[in-house]
Amino acid sequence: MRYYFVDQDRNDTVIDLNRVVKTENIVSFQFKDRTLHTRKLAGKLFGSWDQVSWFKLTQIPAGESVSSHATTYKVYRGFKPSGLFAGGAGALITQMPGKVVKVMVSEGDKVEKGQTVLILEAMKMENEIKAGVSGVIKNFAVKVGQALESGVLMAEIEEE
Amino acid sequence: MKRVLIANRGEIAIRVAKALNELGHVSVGIWTDNEPEAAHLEYCKEWVHLQGSSNRETYLNVPKILELIKKYKIDAVHPGYGFLSENAEFSRTLEKNGVTFIGPNTKAIEAMGDKAISKQWAEKAGVPVVPGSTGEVPTVAEAIKLCNSIGYPVLLKAVAGGGGKGMRPCYSEADVKINFEAVQREALSSFGNAGLLVEKYVQNPHHIEVQILADKKGNVYHLFERECSIQRRHQKIIEEAPSPFIGNDEALRKNICETAVKLAQAVGYDSAGTVEFIMGDDRKFYFLEMNTRIQVEHPITEEITGVDLVANMIKSAFGDALDFKSQSDITIKGHAIECRICAEDPISMLPAPGKIAGFETTFPQGIRFDHCLYQNFEITADFDPMIGKLIARGLTREVAIRKTLNALDGLLIDGLKTNIPLLKVIVAEEAFRGGHYTTHYIASVKPQEKVSVTESEVKLMEKVASMEMGAL
Repeated sequence: MRYYFVDQDRNDTVIDLNRVVKTENIVSFQFKDRTLHTRKLAGKLFGSWDQVSWFKLTQIPAGESVSSHATTYKVYRGFKPSGLFAGGAGALITQMPGKVVKVMVSEGDKVEKGQTVLILEAMKMENEIKAGVSGVIKNFAVKVGQALESGVLMAEIEEE
Repeated sequence: MKRVLIANRGEIAIRVAKALNELGHVSVGIWTDNEPEAAHLEYCKEWVHLQGSSNRETYLNVPKILELIKKYKIDAVHPGYGFLSENAEFSRTLEKNGVTFIGPNTKAIEAMGDKAISKQWAEKAGVPVVPGSTGEVPTVAEAIKLCNSIGYPVLLKAVAGGGGKGMRPCYSEADVKINFEAVQREALSSFGNAGLLVEKYVQNPHHIEVQILADKKGNVYHLFERECSIQRRHQKIIEEAPSPFIGNDEALRKNICETAVKLAQAVGYDSAGTVEFIMGDDRKFYFLEMNTRIQVEHPITEEITGVDLVANMIKSAFGDALDFKSQSDITIKGHAIECRICAEDPISMLPAPGKIAGFETTFPQGIRFDHCLYQNFEITADFDPMIGKLIARGLTREVAIRKTLNALDGLLIDGLKTNIPLLKVIVAEEAFRGGHYTTHYIASVKPQEKVSVTESEVKLMEKVASMEMGAL
């Protein structure tokens, strides 16, 4: 079984699970070159690479987001969905849900890289959304007061 | 036995419910349409429904809360922190309806709730204050004039602000021009009041605050100080008690604590509250504001004094005797550190809403974890990103640090980003360990740059095994 872990920058890491071996107490997962043993104890899940040193694992449902260090990944099992990787450097896409509180530019305006295009309020905090490239604003799709979901295209900048 | 409505959610609602249950009162919890599986209900004896989704429709809606009070024959309300906790209009409305507000009297809220007025009270009580505007600054032109006369850097602050929201530092006239409108907007959306203040920005400052507990008979006690200098966006993330900066300078400790008591006495304070000070490297301190509520970081004071602040706040509101008889009953035993666990990116430190996929704890002895977490809990952009508080207590600061690090390693939260990796870097970092830090710690030490980003395939294999085990 192939697993795809896709981070917020749309980079993916592939993990191949080759074989699952079950014994009485232990379920072992064989990857390309390593084997992880797991064991349930008092309703908790533990993992071990050598069956001597054990550590707690979080119990997570398949297909959810998972986190590791400072990254969260969307998990896809067996296939990588198409159309997931749209949007270049000039696309301003919401990274979290929020509300538009101020718009600094309008369609057709020239903007410099790093210039604030609009202000999005999320979790009672104002976030300046800045142009990732220099160019001309096109497809300005939002207005003041609008509530946006995560992953929404707010505007595109045509690079010069 | 009183019927007490908890007009809040999250970990503080749980904390209040525990105290009410312990004192033999009836804890009444609220659930709203956008949070039907509110974790705090588990600890509440009765559950009532407050219709609506946004905070304005629910936890900030005085008429609707009043309806609930009448319908369910409520005797008293505990507001927690945030929401209506420092709203004088709310406490006055309760008073008119014969309902006890678990907090200070309305006059004290009014005296301390407005930063401009609280400063005047402090000056009258002989408490040192930071130079700045004596009242609201209505226009950007007046702000610039005032800032130029005080000298830069200056701070633009919301009159009704708190918790670090609605304030920005300005280093030049141009900064004031840029920030004035933005702070006004933030103030209006967070507190419903766009009024702004201007004040001197003290350099290399330490944020030191004194916990106050007072009864209705005029007795005001202090429970020593906390240092909350580790902040990002002017919001605290790590707090400790006692302050490592004050250290064993007992004369300074006595001075700042007694100054706080003096102010509380001057305004007729009669509940739990906190007097916040800013202290420069020269050990001179100035009054910042007084928070007329229980604070997020109250547990570290509870850990070093052994006094249950929430229970005593409730006792005080009902006119019951406190758990101690005199100031000398309260002493510092050991050291405590609190880490605020937030749903945010550990590097950018920006809020990162999401759903908790998995959650596990394995803690050393002496750890307290006040939280509202459970598997499938969704952290939305509607609420503050703080989801829990990890509190470690030790005989010395060194022990508390050791336990904190160990506990952070044992706290697993999966499915969304948290600041745990950042907290680990800070607590292990040299300047923090040495106790040498100011409120500029994050900006100057930049611990976020040391957060490990190496994605490890081994870690992802663990996730695969975990998901497969769930499906088995």
